[in-house]
Order: sequence, then C-alpha cells, then structure tokens
Amino acid sequence: MAKTILCHCEDIEIDELYSALEQGYGDLETLKRYTGIGTGKCQGKCCIVQTLRLLASLQTSHTRESMMGDPDLIHLPTIRPPVLPMRIDDIADMEEDTP
Amino acid sequence: MTKTADIVVIGGGVNGLSCAYNLAKRGVKNIVVLEKGYIGVGSTGRCGAGVRQQWGLEENIILARESVKIFENLSGELGFNTFFRQGGYLILITDEHEHEIVAGTLPLQNRLGVPTRLLDTKEIAELVPGLNLDGVIAAAFCPTDGFCYPYAVLWGYAEAARRRGVTIEVNTEVINVEARADGTYTVSTGTTAYQTPVVVNMAGAKTKDIAAYLGITIPTQPFRHEIAVTEPLKPFLDPMVISLKKGFYFSQSIRGEIVGGIGDEHEPSSYQTGSSPEFLLRYAKAIRDTFPALGKARIIRQWAGLYDVSPDARPILGGVDGKPGYFHACGFSGHGFMLSPVVARLMSELITTGCTSIPIDGLNLARFDGGPVTKDPYVVG
Repeated sequence: MAKTILCHCEDIEIDELYSALEQGYGDLETLKRYTGIGTGKCQGKCCIVQTLRLLASLQTSHTRESMMGDPDLIHLPTIRPPVLPMRIDDIADMEEDTP
Repeated sequence: MTKTADIVVIGGGVNGLSCAYNLAKRGVKNIVVLEKGYIGVGSTGRCGAGVRQQWGLEENIILARESVKIFENLSGELGFNTFFRQGGYLILITDEHEHEIVAGTLPLQNRLGVPTRLLDTKEIAELVPGLNLDGVIAAAFCPTDGFCYPYAVLWGYAEAARRRGVTIEVNTEVINVEARADGTYTVSTGTTAYQTPVVVNMAGAKTKDIAAYLGITIPTQPFRHEIAVTEPLKPFLDPMVISLKKGFYFSQSIRGEIVGGIGDEHEPSSYQTGSSPEFLLRYAKAIRDTFPALGKARIIRQWAGLYDVSPDARPILGGVDGKPGYFHACGFSGHGFMLSPVVARLMSELITTGCTSIPIDGLNLARFDGGPVTKDPYVVG
C-alpha cells in the first residue's frame, strides 16, 4: 500500500497520526509529542498545517467519531526560536549586544 | 454541576498522575485528576528528564535511589515504554572546593548503595571522548543514573491510572478550593464543583496558589529555566554531563538530540516561560567550551519551564496540621521528575494509611517555621 508522509523531517506517515488519534492522543500539542510531528529540523513549517487541516476535516466529516476532538483545541503550537536551525559555534560567536 | 470524588488530585503532571496511579493501585476508587491544560503542559513536559542519585544529603540520596529502582522497572509495570536509559551522570569537577564537596559525599552515597566513583581525567576521556578537559580535575560518575522521555512517563502513568478507573479531566482549571463545615472540601472548576474528603495538591509551581485558597502559605518561588535541543545526531554520548559550579547539563536523548540547559543566577522569580536569546548565547558558549565538536551541531528549538524552588531546594511533602484530608507535594526545585515515582508511592501510603515506608517527616511544610534549613550542595542551576 502506498505510504503518505506527513512529516518529512521525522519520517512520519499519516497512518501514524491516525493510530495516535485512535489511541486517544487527540490534541495537536499531544500529537506533536507522541508522534514527533513538528519536532524535526523544519520545526513544523511543513507538517503542522497539514496536520491541522486533517484534524479539522476529521471533525467536520463525522466519519471517524473516535478521532474527533474539541475544535477549540485546534491551534498552532507555540513557535519556538530559533526560526531556522543554528550552529552552536555561530551562536557562541555572537556578541552579547547583537540585536 | 456538583460531583463527588473520594480523592481529587490537582495537577496532571508526573507527580499528580503517578500519585493517582499509586492510589488506585492501593484500592482507592473514584479518583479524579484535574489538569488545567493537556497532560504535561507544566514543568514535567518541559524538564530535562534526568534521574540522578548523586546528592549530598542522606534523605535526598535515599529518595533518589528508590526512585531509580522504580524507574528501572517502570516500563514493564505501566505497560508503556518510558525510554529510561541508564547512561549515568558525569559530574565534572573544576576546582578544589568542588572536589572536597563531591569526594566528601562519595562514602555516604556508597554506604547507601549508590555506586558513584571518582574518575581521573584519563578515565573521563575514555568514557566521553571529545570532552574538553582543560580545567577539569576529576569527575564523579554514577553509572545507574539516567534519563527518560518525560512524556512517555506521563502517558504511561495516565494510561495505567485510567485502566484502574481514575478519571483524568484535561483543560480543566481549578479556580477555588474550600474547606466545608463537615471536614470535606469543595474543589471548583469553571463548570463543576467536586465534593471530596481528600485533596491532593500537586500543581507544580502553582501548588502554592492552590494552597492559598485554603489559607496555607507555602514558601516556594517559581523560576524560569531554559533548555535547548539540537538536531538528532548519531549516538555518541552515554552519560548526562553536568557541572554543579557552572550550572549546565546536557545529554543525548534516545532520538539522538543533545538536550541541555544552563541556570542563570540573575533570573528573577516569575511565572514567565518565554524563550530568551541570552540563554541561547550562554548555553552555546558553555557547550562549545565543554565539548568543542558540538559547535558544529545545530540547535533546532529552545523552550522554558518553571522550577518550583523551596528555601532549602528540597521538596515539601505531606499534610498540614489542622487540615485533615489535605496533602501536597511541591518545592521540588528542579528535581520533581526524577523523584516523582518514589514521592508518589510514599504520598499514596501517607494518604491511605497515615504513615510512609520511608520517613518523609523532615520534608514537611512545618520545617520552615523554625530556624535555618540545610541546603543540598548538589543543586544545579
């Protein structure tokens, strides 16, 4: 069967998301930590919106009752710095007062 | 809506969930855990997840040793992989004063069954090739210390608690706790009032705020501590490396990321958990100084959590005189995750039988009423 990759950085398939939902890990914050979605090099720039879209469509389609969560809980997780991965050397070389 | 419960646990972090699990295991029915956000949103989910037995005070060493024993079998007990890995803790020693403290406590640790030993620089280099040993004179190493994935521990406890009938309400914030005339309590959320004879307050850095509803003053203060994580790297680092003096620690997670942090003595007390560039700079310098090759690794994310710091940096456990049925566990001062398995077990004994298999009287709230308190020299950050 064809695989659909949801998160390229962490190599997570869409079925892993469904499996997590079926086990009751239903909100995005928990899905992120349970599956690893959004915790790779891109920090969710590619996969989080796709995950949100899937969660929203599951809520409106009513096809998989067990996967329905609270719509109020569908929101972006906190975006953490740095925006792009930064080498420790490059950070350590920065001056204290660099804006 | 009014509901009744036999025990209400406030806080869905590692202490609240493991306590609920242990209470259910001891036969308590109708336990409700109230968590204001998702499971682990507070300090547990933000912690460095280290588990160490290297402490300076006998009571701390015993609690940590018993916790490690539980961690060693926790995946099997809960039916959930906690990813506990015993790579040891390597405490770098950089001056004579530090050497005196650490070498002075080794006999005590060994006598209590904690297998810590002193390593010379050659042994350190064999254990962790690549460490910069300039200025390092020795290190203390305990091979049975380790670390977990904190969320796996949380979910494992949560699922095991649910299987035993515990109700866990997420996104449910406690907004008041009241003592009733009949000796029971009313715990109020926005929508429900729980009537219960037993309240267990394990709300992390917010424990003091919950206690304040009942007129109980807890002298803890919240402090932000920041952490950063690199992209995953090939496994190369077995132990957690820490410096008591410089306040940093780092380890390699089971996914391969280098996870670490560094304390800041100038950090003011607050509930804020935002990220600061100042931390990242300090941390990057400390890591590069300690392990130069890591300079090429890339940081992908930083975050922060709260230490709930008590005046002696030791936990506050037990009940309160004049408040039967009320219990709390807080003030872990950055070590709540590592102590939670044993603390939860002891608290569940105290709540159900009135006594504990390991004495915790010395950790009660009343110890701060008297004179000065003893701080453990092994506190980091």
